[in-house]
Order: sequence, then C-alpha cells, then structure tokens
Amino acid sequence: MSDGKEHDSGSVEPGDTSKRVGMEVIRERGVDPEELREKLVDAIGAEFTTYYYYTNLRMHLAGEEDYKEITEDARLEDRAHFELVVPRVYELEGSLPNDIREFADRASCPDAEVPTPMDDDGGFDTEDLEVEDILEVLLEAERCAIRTWSEICDMTRGADPRTYDMAQRILNEEIDHEAWFIELLSKERDDEINPAGHFARGEPGDAPYSTNNRFNDSA
Amino acid sequence: MTGRADDTWTVTVVVPEESSLDAAGETVELEVAEHETILAAARSAGVWLPADCQQGWCITCAARLVEGDVVHPDARRYYDGDREADFVLTCTAKPRADTTVVVDRYDDLLEHRAERGKPPGSAKIRG
Ligand code: FES
Repeated sequence: MSDGKEHDSGSVEPGDTSKRVGMEVIRERGVDPEELREKLVDAIGAEFTTYYYYTNLRMHLAGEEDYKEITEDARLEDRAHFELVVPRVYELEGSLPNDIREFADRASCPDAEVPTPMDDDGGFDTEDLEVEDILEVLLEAERCAIRTWSEICDMTRGADPRTYDMAQRILNEEIDHEAWFIELLSKERDDEINPAGHFARGEPGDAPYSTNNRFNDSA
Repeated sequence: MTGRADDTWTVTVVVPEESSLDAAGETVELEVAEHETILAAARSAGVWLPADCQQGWCITCAARLVEGDVVHPDARRYYDGDREADFVLTCTAKPRADTTVVVDRYDDLLEHRAERGKPPGSAKIRG
C-alpha cells in the first residue's frame, strides 16, 4: 500500500521508539527539527516573559480602565501562546529549561519592563511614569513577537505543517495586538486616530485563533 | 566621529561562502545613512540578512566588524565585551564611518556570550 508514496520515511524501524517519524518527516523536508525546537523554546520564552511583564505593566495603568482591559487581553493571549506551543517542544524531543532564569535569558524578545526606575525603597518610582511610555513598551513587545512568529512561519512553511499552523495562528493574534496598541498610543501620545479595525474580544484573553490546545478551561 | 544627521557611509557586507544565506560568497556595498541600521539598509537593497527581534536582544543578526565604526544606540542587550570582540548587531548598528562587516556570525557570538556567562547563555549550544 505504501508503494509509490513520495514521502515515506525509511529511517524509523517498525516498533522503534527511540526515533519519531514526526521529526524525521520534517528533516526529510529540509528543516532541522532540533534547531526548530530550540527556536520554539526561545519564542515561548518570550511569550512567557511577556505574560509576566504585562502583569506589571497592566498594574501601572492605574485608572486607565480601557487600556487595562486591552492589556489584559494581550497578557492572557500571550500565556495562551506559551501553552499552545509547549507540547510541540516535547513532541520534538525537547523540554523547558529546568531553571527559569535560563528560560528568560534565552527568550527571543526583550523584557517588557515598566519604563521607570526603582526608587530608593525598591519600589517603582512612578512620579514621571507616563501612560504613553507604557503603551510604547507594549507596542514594541508585540512587534518583536510578530517578527519572531513570522520567522517561524518562514522556517516551517512547506516542511512542518503542525508547527506552521500554530505559528500562523499566534501571528494572527500578535498582529491584532500591534493594531490595538498603535490605536491607543496614537490617540494618547499624538491625539491621532488610527483605528485598529477590530471589534471587542469576548472573555478577557479570548485568544480566538490559538485556543484549541489549552492546558485546561481555567485559562 | 560626529557626523551630520544626513551623513551617509559605505558599508561593505561580506557574506561568507559557508553561509546558508542566498547571498553566500557575495560582497555587497551599501550606502547607509547615519540614522539607518545596516540590517534595514541591506534588506531595502534586496540583501536578506538574518534577524528576529530587531531590537538588539536575540543576537540572530550578529556580524563581525572588520573595519570602520558603528554605534548601537537602541540595542537592548549589547555588552562591552561584544564591542571589544568586534561583534555587531546589524539590526541596531548604525555606521559612523565607512565600515566592513562579515555577517551570519550568530554561532560565534552565541559562544562568545556563553563563555562569559552572558545571555542567551550556554543552554542553546548543542553537542
Ligand atoms: S535581530 Fe535580534 S539582536 Fe538583532
């Protein structure tokens, strides 16, 4: 029955559990699955650190309820991205680093810190903290994510449909996020109207493109 | 060297033979304005150099300075040790002189950083 199938893998013996056809088929199509897997770890490192940093950025949008709500959507969707791709890392015989510092260090995007120094007591010095500066941090974090997932789409297109499918769905949401923060920053900083062009999400962190593989329903 | 805002420099980009980039083995000359990054100038000229974050963080775009001078005013993670070893992050590097760089040096910078305990660290070095 397999006669004439163009892409049969001949490199995994029947019953051999030391290799995965799910990886060999990617290799056969010209992509190094180990390299891809490590890139995925970097990319979800960025989603995870962004989830953490957005928690803090959201806190510091005190009183700006509409901005807080949108930041919450982006925050929870970034967590959903992390959770969507974690199983793929293990399928590709990888794992999350044991040390969270190692994980954060290799994240493919910069830390999205609150754009203000610490004061003498170790708290945030909020005296000069501007809403527009927080929105700019959010915007640049989304832009980095767009670049990262575009890279992963490029790397997997035509070779690894499973990872490509995840990456392109995450990319859809990151592009939504960029549009949200362009709209908000334009209005806040420049008094310019630059519509995102979207209707509201449903529940906070709806993640309409990337929800199919969550860990559980509490997300 | 202080230039005017509209100063333009010649940046020579050397793509090594062994590179997997389309331009492997080529040497390309670009005119790069003082406010422009080497990566942006190269991509505008149709030379696809590697990059990811484009914020001077992930080191995907690493290159090596052979000659000239660049600054990295917007890089999020660029160390004195990188500069001393002539590493350049093309996504944020702006020329301040006529400059030559060898691109596709990610593995070299990764190793350099790991040896010095700097991020992204040794976790990414296989083998
Ligand atoms: S592309 Fe990330 S450091 Fe240049």
